[in-house]
Formats: sequence, C-alpha cells, structure tokens
Amino acid sequence: MSGAALIGVPLIEVRRPGLQTTVQDAGRQVRALGVPAGGAADPVARRLGNALVGNAGGAAGLEVTLGGPTLVFHGAALVSLCGAPFDAQLDGEPFPLWRAVAVRAGQTLRVGGTPVGARAFLAVRGGLDLPEVFGSRSTDLRGGFGGLEGRALRAGDLLTVGAAAPLTPRRAFVAPDLHTPLGPEQVLRVTATPDLTGPLAAALLGRAFPVGAQADRMGVRLEGPVATPQDPGRVSVPNVPGMVQLPPDGRPILLLPDAGTHGGYPTPLVVIRADLPRLGQLRPGDRVTFRTVPLPDARAALHAQERALRQAEGSLRAWSGPALYAGRHAD
Amino acid sequence: MNGAGPEVSFTRLGDAALAVGTPGARALLASLRDSPLPGVQEVVPALHLLTLLFDPLRLDPADLEAALRARLAALDLTAPAGVGAARTLAVPVRFGGRGGPDLTWCAAHAGLSEGAFVEALCAAPLEVAFLGFTPGFAFLTGLPPGLRMPRLDAPRERVPAGSVALGGPWAGVYPSATPGGWRIVGRTDLRLFDLSRPEPVPWRAGDRVRFEAVPAGQPESA
Repeated sequence: MSGAALIGVPLIEVRRPGLQTTVQDAGRQVRALGVPAGGAADPVARRLGNALVGNAGGAAGLEVTLGGPTLVFHGAALVSLCGAPFDAQLDGEPFPLWRAVAVRAGQTLRVGGTPVGARAFLAVRGGLDLPEVFGSRSTDLRGGFGGLEGRALRAGDLLTVGAAAPLTPRRAFVAPDLHTPLGPEQVLRVTATPDLTGPLAAALLGRAFPVGAQADRMGVRLEGPVATPQDPGRVSVPNVPGMVQLPPDGRPILLLPDAGTHGGYPTPLVVIRADLPRLGQLRPGDRVTFRTVPLPDARAALHAQERALRQAEGSLRAWSGPALYAGRHAD
Repeated sequence: MNGAGPEVSFTRLGDAALAVGTPGARALLASLRDSPLPGVQEVVPALHLLTLLFDPLRLDPADLEAALRARLAALDLTAPAGVGAARTLAVPVRFGGRGGPDLTWCAAHAGLSEGAFVEALCAAPLEVAFLGFTPGFAFLTGLPPGLRMPRLDAPRERVPAGSVALGGPWAGVYPSATPGGWRIVGRTDLRLFDLSRPEPVPWRAGDRVRFEAVPAGQPESA
C-alpha cells in the first residue's frame, strides 16, 4: 500500500439514511448453523460496482433500496453506483451510474428514487471497513448482526473505508447488456422440483403474478393465490437461493438472500442461478411470469453470464494494476 | 451395511443445489466435513437429508450424485454415530415457573408428576439433528415418545431467548426472542448465539445434548 493510503478514517457521514440502506457484501456460508446467507440482492451490481473502483468483487458497500440516502464525504473517495437507475446528484450535479466517480472531501452525494427496479449498490474504493461476522460484513436485519450494528443506516452514522492505494478513475463504463434486466414485466427462468404437481404447474406457469407490497430482503410475495396442497406432517428442509415457496395462503414467495435457512412449505419451483440477480430488483407492482427451462439451458445461461461478467471485471481492473488484487479474490 | 442402498434419493433443486435423502445423512455430513468435495460450497443438514449447494460451473450434478453414491457406499452406518467428532453439551435448565409456563400442562399430558417429567426429560439422550429457523436454533431428536408434545394451536408472538421447548418430535432452545409455537418447559442462561465468542453457536449437527435441572432460585452458570 502506498503512503497516501487512507487508514481507519470515518469517511462517510450519513445525513439521511434513505428507505432501507444496509451494508452488504457477498454474504456468508453458514446455513448449517441456521444463519441466512445475506449479501447484496443484486450480485451483478455488487461485482461490477466493486470492479469499477478496483475492489475485490466481495468488498462491502451500501445497498440502496427504492429511496436512497444522502451521504457527506469527509475525505476523497472513489465511488460507483450500479443497479437500478436511481436519480443521484453530487453537490447538485447529475451523478452518473455504472462509472467510477472521484468524490472530493466535503461533497454530498444524494441518491433519490428510481422509476424501475428496486436496488443499487454503492461501492467505495477500499470497501467499507466493518467487523466480519461469519466471514461477512453483510447486515442481517432480522438477526440484528453484521454491517453497522446489525441494522439499516440512520442519520448521523459514520462509515469507515478500508485502506487502499488511491486510484484515478478512467473513462471506463459497464456495457448495458451486463446490467441486471429491469422493468415491470419479468420472465424468470425456473426449474421444477418434485413438489410441482400437475395442478400446481397449471396454476403457476403461463400466467403473470403481480409483486405484492411485502417485498423485502427475505422474500418477495406474489399476489394471486394458487390452491396450495398442505401437509401438516411435512418436516423442515433446507431452503436454497431462488426457491419459490407456497405458504398456506397460496401467495407464492420468492426467497431472497435473507430468507431463513429452512422451511416447511412446498417449494415447487427454483429460479435458475443466472436469474437470481433479477429477484433483487423486483418492486411492488412488477409482474412475474415463470418459465421452466431444462437444466442444461440453465447452466448455459449461467456460463454465458459468468463469462461476460468475468471479462468485464477483468478489463475494469486491468487499468488499476494487478498488484492490488493478488491473493484476494471473491467470486 | 453401507449407505448407498435403495433408500437413497436425490432431488435437484434448481441448477445449483442437490438434496440427498438418506438414513446415513449424519455419517455423510461427517464425511463431507472431513473431506469436502470440490465445487460444493455448503452442506446444509435436515432430518435424514443433506442439501448441497454447489457451483454449477465447476460441478455437473450427475457427477456430484455419483461422488455422493460412492461416499455413501464407503460409509459404515453400523459404526456408532459420530464417535470422536461428536461433542456432548450440557444445557442447564430451570424448569417450570415463569420461565417454563407449559411445564404443568406437559407433565399432565405425559401423565407424570412435574418432577418425574423433568427427570425423564433430563435422562433423554438428545442429539442435534440440524440447525435452522433462526441462527443457533437446534432441532433436537431423541425424545422418548411419551415426552413428545403437540405444538400450540396458535404460536406465541414472542418467546423469550433461552426458552427450552417441546414441539412434535423435537426439543429445542430459542436462541433469541422470536415467535414460537412449541411448549415452553424451562429456561436456560446458556447463550446459543453469542457473537462475542469465538464460536458463536456452541453446537452443530451430530452433537449430543443433555438437559440438566437447576434448582429454582439458583444461578444456572457462573
């Protein structure tokens, strides 16, 4: 690290917290202890945002939800905002998304709302410096741990940024075809599980479900109940990312990163891995249609997505020098 | 007897997870802890079941199934489970009183005096089947049939942390205050999710557990 590195400075002051702004990174892997995964709900935005500022893909940043925060920078920083097209201003001037932007000490970043999608990831060069809990800095709101005191940001909070050599932003940006698709009509590719009976397939496939008001980091509730078979003797089994759960009221729940580790309801569909980032961008009023795909197609989609992402991450990092990343990789 | 018999089932859950249903789940879990399979990111236990989360770019699910069948075939399920690896955790419990509002009901349901009920519960050789529901919450198996209690018709909105409870075939301890539908027979001061400790969750699947009655009015631990 160079002598000019920032070490342990409370750099970002939260003036207004926004609707629900939390510290997130790539999440944790301790489901076996009953601990949810956590992590940024749109991992594509997290990875590309971090790459833009020269961070490892799993560095901690801020996840912004529907209404963004107002942040005062008490030191110079290199930041990026990736995800839904939030209206954002730096000292009143438009702040571009999907780019690395140099912020000077004393400047104020105001993140407003977004017309589509739900979340964005604010990455800061060096990453947010907070204690790790089970190997992650992600905030678990329900458990009340991780991130900043296990809660969403509040006015007056101070965030410290990790040490990193200064970096001059280049004119690099992220091609739009890499962004997580947004919009009111979402087709989610799914595979079936043995819980998908004939009647359930008829009820769940080939129709659009509106996203209800209950949409948070644990899950997204869909409206339009389907007749749900109930088996009170059913035992709890592990949940997996992207599961579609059918509780007794018949309104399907799409599981997001903070979902509980186990559940006892039928789970007839699982969203394919390549489409998981879309779940983090669903907002009330969007409409979701499930389309089953064969497993090889799911794998091919993930391959294509991962290849493009790694290529983009590689080229964004190429200009910030390889030495910074040796020995530290996430994703 | 090995673990690769016809009672093994594989269920694909999306493109990145595979559930293995087998009576040898506990032994398979120990084997996968000792010697992980490349490309498997997490192994999550449930009752007679393991769900493996894997990286589909590194691992083909058919190959994973074959590797798991081979592992199961090599396991000796007749060996005493978890010898060496399993730990025994004693959980000091104050039974009854304000911390155990359902003790009287449970004892009556079991046809025992409260004292005999507590004695029987403390004699039960319990084991952590898996953790879930909330961080550190363990589903404990090993309750004798007579001590199994029906769940409450309507869950309580808030069960205090440390509540020792019985529900269906399970016993459990609530690590934090949450809603809960099990019958609460006592309270422990043992913290089951404490991030100030190097090991925040003191138990894991396969560990053995014993409840120890602490006389009322006496602190449970130093």
